[in-house]
Amino acid sequence: MNLFKIVTKNMRQRALATTLTGISVALAVALTVAIVHIKRGMQQRFEQSTLGYEMVIGAKGSPLQLVLNTVFNLDISPGNIPWTLVEKLQADRRVKAAVPFSVGDNYRGFRIIGTTGAFGETFGYKLAEGRWFTCSIEALRDAFKEALEHSQERIAKEKGDAPAKPAAHHHNAAEAVIGATVAQETGLRVGQKFIAAHGVEVSPNAEEHTDNPWTITGILAPTGTAVDRGLYINLDSFYHIEGHEVRDAPKDNDPDPGQVSAIALKLRSPIHAFPIYREINDGEEAMAAFPAVEVRKLFAIVGNIDRILLAQAILIGLVAGVAIAVSIYNSMSERRREIAILRALGARRGTIFAIVVLEAVAICAAGAVAGVAGGHLIVMVANAALRHVSGFTVAPLTMEVAELWVVAGSVALGALAGIGPAWRAYRTEVAENLAPTS
Amino acid sequence: MNDAVLSLREVRKSYREADGNRLDVIQVGQFELAAGDQIALVGSSGSGKSTLLNLIAGILLPDAGVVCVNGTDITQLPEAKRDRFRAGNIGYVFQSFNLLQGFTALENVRLGQMFGNGTGDAVELLKKVGLAHRLHHKPRALSVGEQQRVAIARALVNAPALVLADEPTGSLDAANGTAVLELLRQVCTEGRHTLLMVTHDPAVMRHFERVVRLEELR
Repeated sequence: MNLFKIVTKNMRQRALATTLTGISVALAVALTVAIVHIKRGMQQRFEQSTLGYEMVIGAKGSPLQLVLNTVFNLDISPGNIPWTLVEKLQADRRVKAAVPFSVGDNYRGFRIIGTTGAFGETFGYKLAEGRWFTCSIEALRDAFKEALEHSQERIAKEKGDAPAKPAAHHHNAAEAVIGATVAQETGLRVGQKFIAAHGVEVSPNAEEHTDNPWTITGILAPTGTAVDRGLYINLDSFYHIEGHEVRDAPKDNDPDPGQVSAIALKLRSPIHAFPIYREINDGEEAMAAFPAVEVRKLFAIVGNIDRILLAQAILIGLVAGVAIAVSIYNSMSERRREIAILRALGARRGTIFAIVVLEAVAICAAGAVAGVAGGHLIVMVANAALRHVSGFTVAPLTMEVAELWVVAGSVALGALAGIGPAWRAYRTEVAENLAPTS
Repeated sequence: MNDAVLSLREVRKSYREADGNRLDVIQVGQFELAAGDQIALVGSSGSGKSTLLNLIAGILLPDAGVVCVNGTDITQLPEAKRDRFRAGNIGYVFQSFNLLQGFTALENVRLGQMFGNGTGDAVELLKKVGLAHRLHHKPRALSVGEQQRVAIARALVNAPALVLADEPTGSLDAANGTAVLELLRQVCTEGRHTLLMVTHDPAVMRHFERVVRLEELR
């Protein structure tokens, strides 16, 4: 027989109150754990995804939207920027690599991104199997011309003029390298073909580009970033698709009609970052943004929301603490005789005080442990929604140090909640409570 | 008598009544019990018998006087030491058994052992009081006679020098009462425990060779 056995017996005797108050603690802990876990996990994933993307350039508008679209395959593209800017940046000595991206289609909800062969090399993405797609600057220029012709043909049709006969163009094969998650979830394998649907999100009315199937040439190794959820195609093949003609009203004698959605930059030295950033933003044709900065801003906003949620969880925890205190305090009237018996058997006042505090601590500790498990369960369930919203999931079984603090806090809360009832127990009159009850 | 297990000298206890006057409940001049003594202390209801037992057990403190158990004046001990002393030296059997309802018979006995640091065999003791088949039953599953036997085993588990019994047969029928009384006397005789039993029941008094009226102690 020991104190813990006495505490366990007491808890069993008050099984309903013990369970209910334990559940309220578990609820508070589960919410806290889930919030901490999801926020940390998402922030980690987002920050991991920005690695290598020193600066992105896109149409003027929201820098966050540009970053979300370019780096995380989220949101919609803020607009297009001229291809000439890609060439200008590629020629800039300060720039190590300028990788263009064009977006606008999806395959079963996974984004299709037109880019060049420099994409994998620049950002260090390795292939798990197969090879990279073929993309040449000649094919790309040809694709731009074809896109321009498509555009002119459509405008002529709208005006009622006879359309000019399109010139014959050389096409590279439409090829794709797909992310690890895409391969896993769609079952696509090297050598298989897929057909894109128009738009960056799944829509039942989306037009399918049935005349332009892409052949998969490679599958990327998992990166834990948004890249896992993308299908990367040779940029020229992107402009062969009808509807991807990039200008409504091409200017006369435009030497380069091409446009892209965004450019990701890798610089030769970090000292070039701010000068280039200023030059781009001072100009009229594009906007530059630092992905790492935008992610920090995003999580500063999200941080406010999760602080509110955490405050709510802490409030629930405090209410649970009060409920435990009230529940045990009220039970003291029924337990006065038991306490008197223990005292008569030789239990000291301090021992009685400890038994009651331990009981409150045990309820909180059990609730906290159940809450930690519940929190991880919430993360598992929430992963489906997280994937839908952000494309990322959080590992549900990894433990955060913060979780230990939550458990420690719950134990402290239990000790605090037990003090009031324990004091009442401590002061129990022995002689008058030992008298026979009639 | 230096080898007295219990020695009371000039013990006084009074309570303040609602009208502010003090009511003298206990006035004991000199009273001693030697090892192995068995005595019935009698008095009418409300005469202060239970209060006297609580004073001897150190649950209450007298307003004046000396209460020595096994040579220790327990009135001079701080409360925590008094509690520990009680657990190791005094066994207490109550009229209403005072068993903890959430604990089995064996656990109730071991609870007494836990606070007194006793090394007695709780199972053996329960067998001795005829409850070998009831070790793991909770009080509600036991008859009143069996409950009092558990209480006796609990009182004896630390092999105390002094056993106090407060009307232990008061809640039992005549047959059970006699059986419990004989059992208590028998185990106290075997263990040379000094037994002080308070009662107002003449049938109980007849079992004792020495019967003392509370009024005679003044």
